[in-house]
Amino acid sequence: MTTNKLSLQQVSKAYGYVDALHPTDLNVAESEFVTLLGPSGSGKTTLLKIIAGMERPSGGRVFINGRDTTETPVRERDLGMVFQNYALMPHLSVFDNVAFPLKVRKTGAEEIRRKVGEALGTVQLAHLADRKPQALSGGQQQRVSIARAIVYNPSLVLMDEPLGALDKKLREQLQHEIKQLHERLGITILYVTHDQQEAMSMSDRIALMNEGRIEQLGAPRELYFSPKTAFAADFLGNSNFIEATVSEVSAAATRCRLSGGEELLAPRRDGVRQGDAVRLMVRPEHIRLIGGDGAAEDNVLTASSLGPTFFGDALEIRAQIADGSEVSVKVANNFEVAAAAPGQPLRLGWSSDHTHLFASGSGR
Amino acid sequence: MRFLTKNLSLPVIVTWLIYVFLLVPSLVVIPISFGTSNELVFPPQDWGLDLYRRALDPAEGWLAAAGRSMVLGILATTIALLMGVPAAYGLSRSRFPGQKALTFMLMSPIFAPTIVVALALYLYFATLGMTGTMAALAMSHAVVITPFILVTTLSGLKHLDRNIENAAMVMGATRLQIFFHVVLPALKGSVLTGGLFAFLLSFDEVIVSWFIARSDQPTLPVKMYSSIQWEISPVLSAISTFLVAITVVGSVVAAFISSAETDGI
Repeated sequence: MTTNKLSLQQVSKAYGYVDALHPTDLNVAESEFVTLLGPSGSGKTTLLKIIAGMERPSGGRVFINGRDTTETPVRERDLGMVFQNYALMPHLSVFDNVAFPLKVRKTGAEEIRRKVGEALGTVQLAHLADRKPQALSGGQQQRVSIARAIVYNPSLVLMDEPLGALDKKLREQLQHEIKQLHERLGITILYVTHDQQEAMSMSDRIALMNEGRIEQLGAPRELYFSPKTAFAADFLGNSNFIEATVSEVSAAATRCRLSGGEELLAPRRDGVRQGDAVRLMVRPEHIRLIGGDGAAEDNVLTASSLGPTFFGDALEIRAQIADGSEVSVKVANNFEVAAAAPGQPLRLGWSSDHTHLFASGSGR
Repeated sequence: MRFLTKNLSLPVIVTWLIYVFLLVPSLVVIPISFGTSNELVFPPQDWGLDLYRRALDPAEGWLAAAGRSMVLGILATTIALLMGVPAAYGLSRSRFPGQKALTFMLMSPIFAPTIVVALALYLYFATLGMTGTMAALAMSHAVVITPFILVTTLSGLKHLDRNIENAAMVMGATRLQIFFHVVLPALKGSVLTGGLFAFLLSFDEVIVSWFIARSDQPTLPVKMYSSIQWEISPVLSAISTFLVAITVVGSVVAAFISSAETDGI
């Protein structure tokens, strides 16, 4: 059995009477890419600071590479870190910035030259080694900072919103590069972001954080397709919530009645009983617009269109259902817009498998 | 004409008048210094370099006093830098009880009337039997100029990204390595300007030196001051011209350093 590169056991943090972080467990295996995802104030930054040693936990233990580092000073934790604002030393050249952690470790000059050369080669910046950081673009500076964090092979590399300061195009390109780097070098990465797309496209596993605790931990697909809470459903991807009351619970499914009178089917969920107020969730891309009377799906609602919005790669149609709430539907961009003009009647259909059921008032 | 009226608006004229008002008294010594009279006269009747010859004559003691002030300035600035820069770093990067009080204490020589500070230092060094020594002079000046080093260094530290230090720490650097290899190089500009400024303050200081220095070994400003009291010698105008030149050069260098730093970072 391999040891975890990072293991948190009941780690918590309280500021006075405020619990910034409830007791939390988290394991990161070797070569794994785990993302702490959550809105600001969810505790992800507090958790990162505790792992880095910049913040003392109020309780619990932090193990890095199998060693209890709860009381270990920051510089002895064997970590690498990438910051949002690059945090490069302005008076040092690119080469010397990357060489810094090696020099601190009293590495020989020959080995420094070799390792820095390798690291800069990995991020494709070998030709800019003599420049000062200010002479580089934001994306290049962040690559230098990544090279600096991997050049000394730390047990774990922490990345604190590393792409937050970059524009969209560059962000997507660097997402791809970091992902490739991770796969090629097998480094272990703990990544922090509030951007759900970034988290989903890069991570092996996502720890979704909310109000100082991990709300759900799992692979991106698992979080997206099987959110355990309404918060998880809402935070990852787009979602439509519909209020309903459980009218019948059978072995296979839960039948729910909307205030407008329609009925919808959702998968069975333990603990949900007849008469419970629930929230049903369905993703916009799982809803189809059904022509005529064809009822090809097991969940069908009639609605009135509020008009389409063009997003380039897709078209979003907002519609109002009988109980007055709004539902958005994502369709291909070649959809005939006239059919969704405001006021047009629409039939929305989706599979009960794509319907998620949550206890009312949970999350959000 | 429109060009002129546009540029000579009232605020511009007032600004220039204020400049002239502030500068002329210092500049008036320059023409006087090229006169030959035995009194301070403006404008001078005859022109010549007599006064400079006398100022540079070793027998008059001006050179010795200038040398003394130079050594004193360098010593005091060195002490002030060694105390002020680490103090500023410590104050800005840690939280401890009594921090505000300590900061205020270190800054107090700015707020306290110089004559009070001078008297206190005199009594202090008299008790130790050190008055009149260069060591006492240097330490006294250091007390007076350290706050200025502290202020410039603190403001430099405020502009320094804390994450750069955090990054260095995560990468394995010790506090001392961070101070010398990360913080100090980034602060180079503010430390240099602060040091230059502090040196000029020390070089110019009269009151504390008056109390501490031996009367037969005065610093340059003290000698100037006492020579005004006894004999209003026109040589003073030559010395003053030197001082104006040094100050101008110093300020230009300081301005250059700080602008180079802003460009660099």
